[in-house]
Amino acid sequence: MLQRFLNPAVLAGISGLELVARTVVEGFVAGLHRSPDFGFSQEFAEYRAYSEGDDLRYVDWNVFARTERAYIKRYRGETNTLVTALLDTSGSMGYSSHGVSKLDYARYLCASIFYLAINRQRDGAGVIVFDDEIRHFVAPSTRQGQLMRLLHALEKCEPRARTDFAKPFFHFQQFLHRRGIVMVVSDFYEAPEKIVRSVEPLRHKGSEVVLFHVLDPREIAPKLDEPVLLVDMETADSLEVSPDYARTGYRERIDAHIAAMREQSKAAGLDYFLLDTSRPLDEALREYLSLRAGRM
Amino acid sequence: MGFLAPWFLAGLAAIALPIYVHLLRQHNVVPLKFSSLMLFEKHMQSAVKRRRLRHLLLLALRVLLLALLALAFANPFVQRDPAAATSGARLEIVAIDRSFSMRADNRLERAKGEALSILSRRPAGGLGQVLAFGATVQLMTQAVDDPAELRAAVQAVESDDSRSSYAELARVLRAIAQSSKLPVQVHLFSDMQKTSLPPSFSDLELAANMTLIPHPLATAGKANWAVESVTAPRRLLDPAKSRVEATVAGFSTPAARRSVSLTVNGRVVETKPADVPASGRARVEFLGLDAPHGFSRCEVRIDSADALAADDAFRFSVERADPRRLLFVHDQRQARSMLYVRAALESSVEASFLIEAVPPGETANLTLSKYSLVLLSDAANLPEAFEAALKGWVRTGGSVFVAAGPGIAARRRVPVSGGAVIDLRYATREGARFRTVATADTAHPALRRAGRLEGVRFYQVAGVEPGDARVLARLDDQTPLLLEQRLGAGKILILASALDNVSNDLPLHAAFVPFIEQAANYLAGGETRAASLTAGSFLELRPEGGAGVAAEVLDPQGKRVLSFAEAAAARGVTLTSPGFYEIRRAAGGRELVAVNADRRESDLEVVPAETLALWQNTGQGGVDAASVREAKPWAMGWYIMLVVLLVAVTEFLFGLRYLAGEEAS
Repeated sequence: MLQRFLNPAVLAGISGLELVARTVVEGFVAGLHRSPDFGFSQEFAEYRAYSEGDDLRYVDWNVFARTERAYIKRYRGETNTLVTALLDTSGSMGYSSHGVSKLDYARYLCASIFYLAINRQRDGAGVIVFDDEIRHFVAPSTRQGQLMRLLHALEKCEPRARTDFAKPFFHFQQFLHRRGIVMVVSDFYEAPEKIVRSVEPLRHKGSEVVLFHVLDPREIAPKLDEPVLLVDMETADSLEVSPDYARTGYRERIDAHIAAMREQSKAAGLDYFLLDTSRPLDEALREYLSLRAGRM
Repeated sequence: MGFLAPWFLAGLAAIALPIYVHLLRQHNVVPLKFSSLMLFEKHMQSAVKRRRLRHLLLLALRVLLLALLALAFANPFVQRDPAAATSGARLEIVAIDRSFSMRADNRLERAKGEALSILSRRPAGGLGQVLAFGATVQLMTQAVDDPAELRAAVQAVESDDSRSSYAELARVLRAIAQSSKLPVQVHLFSDMQKTSLPPSFSDLELAANMTLIPHPLATAGKANWAVESVTAPRRLLDPAKSRVEATVAGFSTPAARRSVSLTVNGRVVETKPADVPASGRARVEFLGLDAPHGFSRCEVRIDSADALAADDAFRFSVERADPRRLLFVHDQRQARSMLYVRAALESSVEASFLIEAVPPGETANLTLSKYSLVLLSDAANLPEAFEAALKGWVRTGGSVFVAAGPGIAARRRVPVSGGAVIDLRYATREGARFRTVATADTAHPALRRAGRLEGVRFYQVAGVEPGDARVLARLDDQTPLLLEQRLGAGKILILASALDNVSNDLPLHAAFVPFIEQAANYLAGGETRAASLTAGSFLELRPEGGAGVAAEVLDPQGKRVLSFAEAAAARGVTLTSPGFYEIRRAAGGRELVAVNADRRESDLEVVPAETLALWQNTGQGGVDAASVREAKPWAMGWYIMLVVLLVAVTEFLFGLRYLAGEEAS
């Protein structure tokens, strides 16, 4: 069990991201016996009703001729699909309450998925690192040495500046020409409707968008023994917070935020997955992939 | 406003402690980096504010608690003006004099009229009370605000023929003022008799919050003649020897000749003139009082035609009776004691006894009920049957005089009473030739006129054990000489020596005659008492513990004074109205008692204005009240302690809530 569910704190002790990714992926793949088909592909999956903005090229005209209704053919990713990770490196991602920061956890996640995609699926993978600007970009590719480039890009990430989804996501649309799988890894400290509004255009290009909401356990359930002066890691603003309020009012608001993220993502056709940085990464990945396989 | 213990205010410094603690707590915030404050923002601010507000409330409670505690110990007080405190409310008392003198010139009716007038001007809603006073004060109402009840109480006031007492009135007013928190205004309706003032002016002192408003019904003394007193025998044994002496007094009167009449049972027996000097007294003597057997209603009357006619007559009762029988039991060898006792009783003008002397051996067939008194003169060998009969007779009210000489001492027991005789003491054997009387109760009727038996030498005395008997006289070696013992309703008087001029020389002394006379009268129930009583006097109907046999009292109008229950149990009765009362005592005796109003009421001279002003000034509501008024301090310490308790409970509850919040977090 311990081998399968690796503690993020243990992973943090492993120096190289490649080794981390291999440890995670080999670990959980070794434990999969009854689901050998986990992975990314673009095989035909289903029909769905046409909605405004859908590419007319995917409309099944035969069905339209018979029923006079427009349906879009949906595909599962093919073997050579592209996986692009959008990694938020804003200041808030540097928060940690137990040794592994949210950014570390996000990097392990990205590295593991890149490893899985490139080494196991032979898919192309790329990464875009952003905060309020696009800080780094490695175009999705299946070329030799792509994994190393990606891991190098991840290792260079530093938490800084503020999160701004609107500006970077406008530019993402220019980078992402081909449809594939887009993973947005962030703590999403922004209004859910604004996030969804920023991310939704990626979905319109036919890509499958997955939102990985990375949160520290203390962000979900803060534990304060006495009044503290909280300092915002992005804006350096400060507020005095009582244990009373952290226990009641804040919990209500963060739960509402998560629920809003989940509901609005679902409404916009986006996948949403909450990641608690205290959870073993392989367990989290396994759960996510199980859910994803269940939907396909 | 001030503090009774101001040094406790130093405790206010303790307030700094909770403030210091709260300030420390407030600034003890740890800066902590957090990913984003997006979800704290406005609500966070308000949450902190709420928290601070609650903590401020807790702080305020703690500060308040300490401040109040220090304040409570400092015991603040305020000078409370009684008048201001009650915001003008007051208790108006109407006190109406109903004494005997108020009969003059229809004064009582005028007083009631003026009182009604005062009550009609009383502000609505205020409290009022009506008192009627004479020798005692009667509360006609409680403090009420019902005008009808007050008016009815005034109209119900009637004369009680007693002597008015301003001291008693002042005492009751002080008690009312003490129980009432309101200022008291007293309207006094009286003829302001000078004789109603007490000997000590301090007895008139009014309460601090009291205002006295006199309404005099007479401004100057009126001329008044009265029969002030009458001296007459209560028991008439020999009409030829009897004498009635009357004193006629004039108060504020010119010299005048008054006609004085003696009336017996409504019939004028004799009339004499009396020259009464100006504001003086004259004595009139009537020799010979021819009254029939039994009780007679007598009266001395003058023709005065003055303002107060009720005091022109003085009533007294006289009982025409035969001499009483005295059984003298003595040893034949002691004839001298018989001689001395007979001589003493025969020489007396007040006591009249027929003496029947018998030796102890001849007492067997005697009927005791016909005797008023039995005298045992050292009669040692009484037949047992006679002694038992004698005891029974005493228990039903009879009386025995025992002279315990050597004969009784030899038998070691006092007859009838059963008291032990320890020994027979001879003075000569103890080094002294004789003993004398050391202490004597001269208030006792038997010794009242005996002059302490001074100079009497006692040679032989029986050492009588007093037991439950009352010792009336002792010799200088503390041997009881004269003892009185009660047996049932009767009395036993024991002289621890003989009456034979051998054991002592008492028969040769001047004190012997009054002693024997008074003792015999006392024991026979005919003790000297005035032929009349003053209105308001208390008359005893039965001795203590004598309940069961009914007594009866008829007032001058012939009505029963006592209810059935009272008749069976009352110790006595108060004779309130002037006139003749018919009394039937529980022991069976019948009596006619004459009652007259107190003649001090006849002096209608009024209280000087200066004295009245002084009396008014004893109350702070008087003329100079404003200058002498002293505000009463009202300490608030206990009230503050109650608030402290309340705040402490509140602080405790808030503290619990705060702690619960802390523990949960």
